[in-house]
Amino acid sequence: MPDLGRLLREKNIIFVTLALCLLFFLISPRFMSVENMSAISRQIVPIGLIALGQFFVVVSGNIDLSMGMGSVLFAILLGVCFGLTGGVAVGIVAVIVASLALGFLNGVLVAKLKLPAFIVTLSMLFMAQGLSGLIIPRGQQIFLMGGFFRFVGSEKFMGFYWSFLFLVVLFVLAYIVYNHTRWGSYVVAIGNSEENAKLAGINVDRVKIGIFMFSGLCSGFAGIMLSTRMGFVQPGLDGNGLLLDGIAAIIIGGTLILGGRGTIGGAFWGLLFIGVINNALNLLNVEDVWHQVFKGAVILAALGANWVLWQSRQAEAH
Amino acid sequence: MTSTAMASSAQNTKKLDGLTLRYLVLIGLIVIASVGFSFANENFYSLTNIGILLRSIAVLFLLSMGMTFVMLTGGIDLSVGSNVAFSGGVGVIALTTTGSAFIGFAAAIFAGMAIGAVNGFFIGRLKLSAFMVTLATFALARGLALVIYDADSINVSNQTFLWLGGVSWGNMPVVIPFVALVFIALSVVLYKTTFGRDVYAAGSNFATAFVLGRRPEKTLVWVYVLSGALAGLSAIITVGRVSSGQPWAGLYLEFDAITAVILGGTSLFGGRGMLLGTILGVLLYGIIINGLVLTGTNPYLQSLIKGMILLGVVLLDTYTQRGKTA
Amino acid sequence: MKLSKTLAATTALVSAFAASAALADDALDIVFINDGHVAPYHVAWLSGFEDAIAAYDEAFDDVKVTGRWLSAEGSLEKMIQQAEVTINEKPDIMFVNAINVDAFEPLVAKAQAEGITWIAVHSPMDSADYSFTLGDVVNGTNQGMAMCALSDGEPYKVGIMLGQAGNPSGEARREGILKGISTCDNVEVVAEQPADWDTVKAQSIAENWLTQFPDLDAISGVTDGYMYPSIAIAANSGRDDLHFYGYDGDIPIMQQMEGGNVKADILLSGTREGWNFVQMAYRIHKGETPDKVYDFFTPLVLSEENHKIALENGFPEDVQVYYVDQALEVAQNGYLEFGPDSVK
Repeated sequence: MPDLGRLLREKNIIFVTLALCLLFFLISPRFMSVENMSAISRQIVPIGLIALGQFFVVVSGNIDLSMGMGSVLFAILLGVCFGLTGGVAVGIVAVIVASLALGFLNGVLVAKLKLPAFIVTLSMLFMAQGLSGLIIPRGQQIFLMGGFFRFVGSEKFMGFYWSFLFLVVLFVLAYIVYNHTRWGSYVVAIGNSEENAKLAGINVDRVKIGIFMFSGLCSGFAGIMLSTRMGFVQPGLDGNGLLLDGIAAIIIGGTLILGGRGTIGGAFWGLLFIGVINNALNLLNVEDVWHQVFKGAVILAALGANWVLWQSRQAEAH
Repeated sequence: MTSTAMASSAQNTKKLDGLTLRYLVLIGLIVIASVGFSFANENFYSLTNIGILLRSIAVLFLLSMGMTFVMLTGGIDLSVGSNVAFSGGVGVIALTTTGSAFIGFAAAIFAGMAIGAVNGFFIGRLKLSAFMVTLATFALARGLALVIYDADSINVSNQTFLWLGGVSWGNMPVVIPFVALVFIALSVVLYKTTFGRDVYAAGSNFATAFVLGRRPEKTLVWVYVLSGALAGLSAIITVGRVSSGQPWAGLYLEFDAITAVILGGTSLFGGRGMLLGTILGVLLYGIIINGLVLTGTNPYLQSLIKGMILLGVVLLDTYTQRGKTA
Repeated sequence: MKLSKTLAATTALVSAFAASAALADDALDIVFINDGHVAPYHVAWLSGFEDAIAAYDEAFDDVKVTGRWLSAEGSLEKMIQQAEVTINEKPDIMFVNAINVDAFEPLVAKAQAEGITWIAVHSPMDSADYSFTLGDVVNGTNQGMAMCALSDGEPYKVGIMLGQAGNPSGEARREGILKGISTCDNVEVVAEQPADWDTVKAQSIAENWLTQFPDLDAISGVTDGYMYPSIAIAANSGRDDLHFYGYDGDIPIMQQMEGGNVKADILLSGTREGWNFVQMAYRIHKGETPDKVYDFFTPLVLSEENHKIALENGFPEDVQVYYVDQALEVAQNGYLEFGPDSVK
């Protein structure tokens, strides 16, 4: 019956998010407007990419702290390449190569050299932060203009931003890989017990390196999305805020931080939850000193509600 | 050749050597780092600088010891930094309204424990993710601190309240012997009491601990309360250090503490680690930070160097003891 | 009483010490401790400071000028540690942009006892030897009054983006903006949100405001860092009628003023301020005594056309205004004002 628990966890966050939406709607009717929904859909894209990459890392029992600052570094790399060449092609290729390389490095250090992922990726966080200021000439802003940035950043297709559709497609692909491929089951197996995974003949190291390369790639995508949305880049972007929001999204969505359990659907709902809270802070015009109280209290309340729902469902199931 | 020698010695004293060797390596790294920094800046070894270094990591010592308990149970406590600001605020407000330093002390520690109790309740009783719960209280405690301070600092002039964090005997801050006392007390708790054994048991295997009747739920609650109490204590020291209550005190200290604890050999997954390692981890981390300030390089370059040093340390540490802990 | 006596004594000691140090080895070592290093304004500061150090060292053969810049990355504890370590290093002059000045009172006395000149940056400190201030409240008031004067008496809805809760510069600027706005009845503040000096957050706030208040007229901010993402989001949403009121005097923002939607800015210019730090340090080193509270000159920037409109609408004539060209000239070549030639 393990699927039942999974399903319940997944549904809880749906209830909680929808209840929260209803509450905000009652307070401020504009909350449910099409404009606001599409604003939220665009704001969650970088967080969502980080959440998606982090999801596989966390399910495998690791953590990738370098994703937030990594995405800042890659946004700046794109900007620097744009500044040098005046086009985006070189920049995109550079970001993809560099982000895969960062992931590969993380993966090798964690899988082959058996170093703790927390410290390895924390080191990478610092290095990415340092590099992000060193590769941009004198740390100034670089403005990004042209069709590509406008297209990805603000064009819509059938009412949805292209960037949001890109995120949804990635989530769908990830869903298929996670639930319907052997690789997906390997990730869970490693998260449950690395020893058993090895005994079962899984090439644990290779899978782990793959996971970190994927999370690296996701932070590369997140960097591209950040830069296209902003229209300019500079080193002072709050990468760690993105990282924490991304981790919060997947854990609220029922992913076990110690690994071995989690669902892509849950992660997506957790992401919407985070997007809704961040948006509500502005829409309800919460006073500055109350911001953190609001955010903390809502998350705690959601966790509590989640627990109550879970308990009652379990009681029914028995 | 060395590998066979290492393997045979590992066989002889397999049980103890993993951790002991780890600590020896940490001490070695501390020596290497200090020698390196003293080349970069001759002031590094000055007694004044050592006093500054110790004073600046006193709070990190306390928080990291609390974090060690938490991480031994397989948990994490992201709220301690914010809790330093919150409990400091409660303490300072209690002090200024009553005028009694001891009511201020008690209020700070109780406020810290209260945040810890919230964490403990959600994590221990409701069995929710420690990461998530403490991420929520990380925001909540900081927010409450901003609210009770109304985002502004409060000056403190009560000398009794400021004594612990502010006074030095020569170059030795009084807080350091105090930290040593806390270390001894917590060591007794961790190694000599049933509570301590429960902490290790809860981290090794939650379900087994439950079967053995060790009631891990209750243990978890108390572990977070302890971590909160140490945050309250840290708040008192911080207030003493800056002669004022500060709503933004303790920012990012939780990450420093977690890093130091992991450097000290405690596993993120619980059940393995010791307080001594944490002390060494804090010392090493503190020396790196202090040394980087002394070199005064470009802040971006500093980030890069900090990352490389951290990676280098963990690489060296893991390598020298490989084959010993397995 | 007792404090002021001690202060007078230490100040005397400081100047005596500084004078003897200058004769002895003729070196000027300056340390700047800042709360961060990644915001655009910090970056401009740092580059101005570093360039100025190099230029002064080059220009004067008789004095060796050196400087370091430390960033506390937002952490109060880290800043305290950096200040303690720096005092132990005994530089000649410390500039400290304190996260909270109360926390640094004990250290100021310690530094002065070591013969170090302490210059408080932005938030003034009574105990410091000097305070380098911006007049944030006055600047904010000018920004607010500009909104009144440029809104043509029509109802005018404004959203204000704040700094981090409790940040002294941000709070002072907010206070000023609200004070300026209160001089007229038609400007209404519909929302105030903290963006924590972060551009990503600022962009989300701007986007959320535009959906929440379709009739929003202007976005005002306590830093130009908020203006870049707000301008981008307004352009994306087809809101080319939205007005912007900035603060900092960033060159790319001021370039959008002539005939554009950026209506007003405050000319600080980070590079220019960085140069002024070094000039001030050099002057003190040479025995000059600047004002105890040194006010950095920060005029309001308007286009000439808008200034005329503003004056017609009752904008006070005595407010010092720079037109865009002049402001850009100062921001780009600010070092000329404070370069080695200015003290030769």
